[in-house]
Amino acid sequence: MNRVTPQLWKVSERLLAHERRENLTQATRTPAAFLVCEKLRPPLASLMGHTGFRSLLARALALSNTEASWPGTVQVKADGTLAGWDKLEGRISRKDFAEASVVLIARLLGLLMAFIGEELTFRLLREIWPEVTLSPDPTMTEENK
Amino acid sequence: MKIKKKTAPRILPDKNPAPPANVLVRKLPTGVSGLDEIMGGGIPEFSFNIIAGTPGCGKTTLAHQIVFANATVRKPALYFTVLGEPALKMLRHQQQYSFFDSAKVGRAIRFINLGDVVDRQNVNAVLEEIIKQVTAANPSVVVVDSFRTLVRKSATGSDEGEMQSCLQRLAQFLTSWEATTFLVGEYVPEEIRDNPVFTVADGLLWLSQMTERNSVVRKLQIYKLRGQASVPGLHTFRIGDSGLRAFSRTLGLSVKNQPPLRRRQRLSTGIAELDTMMNGGLLQGDSLLVAGPSGTGKSALATQFIAEGLRRGESAIMALFEERPQQYTARADSLGLQLKTPQETGKLEMLYLRPLDLSVDEITQEILDAVKRVGAKRLVIDSLVAFEMALAPGFREDFRESLYRMIVALTGAGVTVLTTVEVEDNFTALQFSHYAISFLTDDIIRLRYVEIDGQLRKVMVVIKMRGGNHSKDIREYVITDKGVVVILPRRTDYNGLITGIPTRAGPRSAQADEAAPEPKATR
Repeated sequence: MNRVTPQLWKVSERLLAHERRENLTQATRTPAAFLVCEKLRPPLASLMGHTGFRSLLARALALSNTEASWPGTVQVKADGTLAGWDKLEGRISRKDFAEASVVLIARLLGLLMAFIGEELTFRLLREIWPEVTLSPDPTMTEENK
Repeated sequence: MKIKKKTAPRILPDKNPAPPANVLVRKLPTGVSGLDEIMGGGIPEFSFNIIAGTPGCGKTTLAHQIVFANATVRKPALYFTVLGEPALKMLRHQQQYSFFDSAKVGRAIRFINLGDVVDRQNVNAVLEEIIKQVTAANPSVVVVDSFRTLVRKSATGSDEGEMQSCLQRLAQFLTSWEATTFLVGEYVPEEIRDNPVFTVADGLLWLSQMTERNSVVRKLQIYKLRGQASVPGLHTFRIGDSGLRAFSRTLGLSVKNQPPLRRRQRLSTGIAELDTMMNGGLLQGDSLLVAGPSGTGKSALATQFIAEGLRRGESAIMALFEERPQQYTARADSLGLQLKTPQETGKLEMLYLRPLDLSVDEITQEILDAVKRVGAKRLVIDSLVAFEMALAPGFREDFRESLYRMIVALTGAGVTVLTTVEVEDNFTALQFSHYAISFLTDDIIRLRYVEIDGQLRKVMVVIKMRGGNHSKDIREYVITDKGVVVILPRRTDYNGLITGIPTRAGPRSAQADEAAPEPKATR
């Protein structure tokens, strides 16, 4: 399995930053990565069913574990939601959590791109986050990550 | 002053009232080349259809082609996936086809997975979900893929009556919502009689694939289509980069549709002596079979026939199954016949048809398309033996029938067809072909080797000309750098020329040993 591409890394960071800002506005404590997954869940579950989405997210979580260490408390529930973030306190540093979040989202998007292609993946993201700039950065290459 | 009262205009009864107009059933394009014609113009709008067949025969691809051909943002399509190919993989696979337009996905075409509903609830819940989604999206096309798995799943918890009732409701609802519907499912032919889904359906498209020896033969059949006449029988189809491509067994042509030729001209073969033997040449719209063993000049004769047409401004097609077009062009050059320029200007197309497992309808469609494209007046098929070899074994049974349909259609349209066939020389009889195909040829020319004066020479004879009289002479010819050249008048000093081993009937004229009288082309 390939590593996360710089393009997906950048997109994941932008989505997470956007959700963090939303978090601040709405004064919620749910981690941004969980919110991103929650926003992806309805359209993807509509496309592939809850079981399909659950499988995809579980695979992304497993892949992200090879590059970032998620504490074992984070799991994907049967309905495709992420659970266990409330038990993370003290187990992982804020910096590591932020990095693991980027890897998780990038992995999920990477899986989507592998299956349905870049165009459809980015269309889906733009429909969910119309206010976020998601255009792939042409200057961002594998070498200059 | 009298005020004229306004009166209602009197409607006079029409003495010849026009019959009430029939309802106009619009036809949706299938997006599959050749299939609209097979279906009698397309898919009837608002019809409730089944796409059935065994696994792997292209049902889902066909459904996608229909959806992509018809869905728009204003008139979207809903594609319900149930249990079967996961939707992600389906999208991944379908993107490989050229008809897939990713701009339509999500806007004009919405994919909705019903797997969760099927898993957790019963068939009624699935129906309710479909109704909910259709009501919200107001689609023009609805696909349920695979409906069969839904039925199987429901069969475990529902009785047959409930399933049938659901099916009726679904059909009625989707028709009322003006949706053209396709239920995709894996079925076997034995189910057609008893399965209620086939009774409810307006249209039934059956896809199948059969393995014969090492090749796969794909066929489709319109089992049923309410309200319009489809082309009956099994039609071959192929799945390629552009998805399904169907080949109507009638090839979209029939003799009665062709305008009759007013007056048929005589066409030169490009060989003056042969034209004389044929009473002035080949009749326009004739089918000529040139039969002979290897090396007797069948292809050279065919090239001369085409070159002569080109010289007279006629467009032409050469369907080649043995030699490559480059070889053909090079040989024509060596005979002083220019085929390269006409190819560049579009007057001549050489079709090189060598892929394996082709269907005869597929090849004939290629030829017909090319004939139409260039407006060809002359067509060469070189050769029938290799043509047959290019076919999948399962298609070879249909060879004669399809060839007949094609030739009748083409000659009916005024195209003059020259076909070559290789025959082994038999030294006791004169064989025309391995195939009983003389019924599809108007004219036959036989080329053969004979032993004369210690040399293996060549003779030709016009065996048959349906359009009139012809020379009965057996004429000796050579192949020179001018092509096939008839060199001698009929020989009366030999008997039994057509056996290949003639006996001398007259005195032997003195002749010196000589070099081969037919120097081979050097290029």
